[in-house]
Amino acid sequence: MPLTHPSLTHLNARGEAHMVDVADKPESRREASASGLIRMQPATLALLAEGGLPKGDVLATARIAGIQAAKRTHELIPLCHALALSKVAIDFTLDERESCVHVTATCRLTGRTGVEMEALTAVSVACLTLYDMCKAVDKRMEIDAIHLDTKTGGKSGDYRRGEPRGAQAMVPPVIESVASPIVTGDGGPGEVSVGQRGDVATPSIHVKCLAELRERLGVGEVSVPVERLPSSDVAGLKTALKALDPRFAGLDEGRVLCAVNQVMAGEATPLTDNDEVAFFPPVTGG
Amino acid sequence: MIRVQQDAFDAGVEQRTLLEGRRDIGAVVSFTGLVRDFNERPEVQALTLEHYPGMTEAALGTIVEQAEARWPLQGVTVIHRIGRLTPADPIVLVVVASAHRRAAFEACDFIMDYLKTRAPFWKKEHTTSGDYWVSERDGDHHDARRWEMFS
Repeated sequence: MPLTHPSLTHLNARGEAHMVDVADKPESRREASASGLIRMQPATLALLAEGGLPKGDVLATARIAGIQAAKRTHELIPLCHALALSKVAIDFTLDERESCVHVTATCRLTGRTGVEMEALTAVSVACLTLYDMCKAVDKRMEIDAIHLDTKTGGKSGDYRRGEPRGAQAMVPPVIESVASPIVTGDGGPGEVSVGQRGDVATPSIHVKCLAELRERLGVGEVSVPVERLPSSDVAGLKTALKALDPRFAGLDEGRVLCAVNQVMAGEATPLTDNDEVAFFPPVTGG
Repeated sequence: MIRVQQDAFDAGVEQRTLLEGRRDIGAVVSFTGLVRDFNERPEVQALTLEHYPGMTEAALGTIVEQAEARWPLQGVTVIHRIGRLTPADPIVLVVVASAHRRAAFEACDFIMDYLKTRAPFWKKEHTTSGDYWVSERDGDHHDARRWEMFS
């Protein structure tokens, strides 16, 4: 326990529960990811993988349940605000070795409160739905290890559970740079041509430079192995790019904006394998 | 309805399409942006519009959703052109329909302000004295911030 631990914001000066007034907090882009798992008999997992369970498509149902739950978190958790989520993504990984299904949920919005409760609720309800969908064949299933993985945006700062990756040795090869800059007008006018992407087997981040930035840096698209990132976020990607090719020093010149998977992002936005990250100058349409 | 296209559009056709068969619409506001022959430099001969396919449509969709959340709207059309355009060409169209004029005027203004500062389009101008990428304008950001004061 730290010497001065943060206060519990849901308790007022008299120690009574209250809803935090967020009207004066600035809006910012917030994202949270949570995960959990449900253990089951190997035979149950096999049935789930084959689609042989009596209630039908288990994962699709659990995914919708998780998304619905995220949207209704404020109805379940007494002091939570109702939020207009801009994204809820639920993913499942079947793990034969551990005989379990890993569930992850990512929630995002631009607003005044964090979305970790939404992500945790989505994981919980997706796990409960998996239980419901499979209980006819296996009543001993166990829901376990539901926890917050990452949280970005907002005053309390970013949170990342566990160690940052990228410490491993034996990193696969270097950034692949497109031989010549892609010029506007290649392919369909006004569109960016699809350049080379890295070896698909290597977990990578796909980077695009657009418009004036592409011409200034002389780089259209590159793929960067995830292991090259000192931290799994946009700041880490920029560090890796600059280490791999000095031209990327230009990312720090002038105002350069960033989008991750086509949504505006910041330095602290987390990145994972196969994410698409675009860097570009301020927009000038209209 | 949101479209990103190379081809020209006809504002009249788009407005009629939006209104067709509707009896609940009391006001429709239409804005068309055109290519000027002068900007940061005189004698602009053409411009090339680049965008970020996928994100562009999503960003425009978000802007329209925000407008629909703020005003009671009965229909919105946004068309933005890409590729090479010459002076006097129409470049962007926003048509907003509502039961009452105030909502239609304000929502159309809002959509254009947000489009200019949030949708991933970039203009490169071709002039008699060379080509250059157009810079962002403080005025556009100032315009877009007007809407935040009331949120």
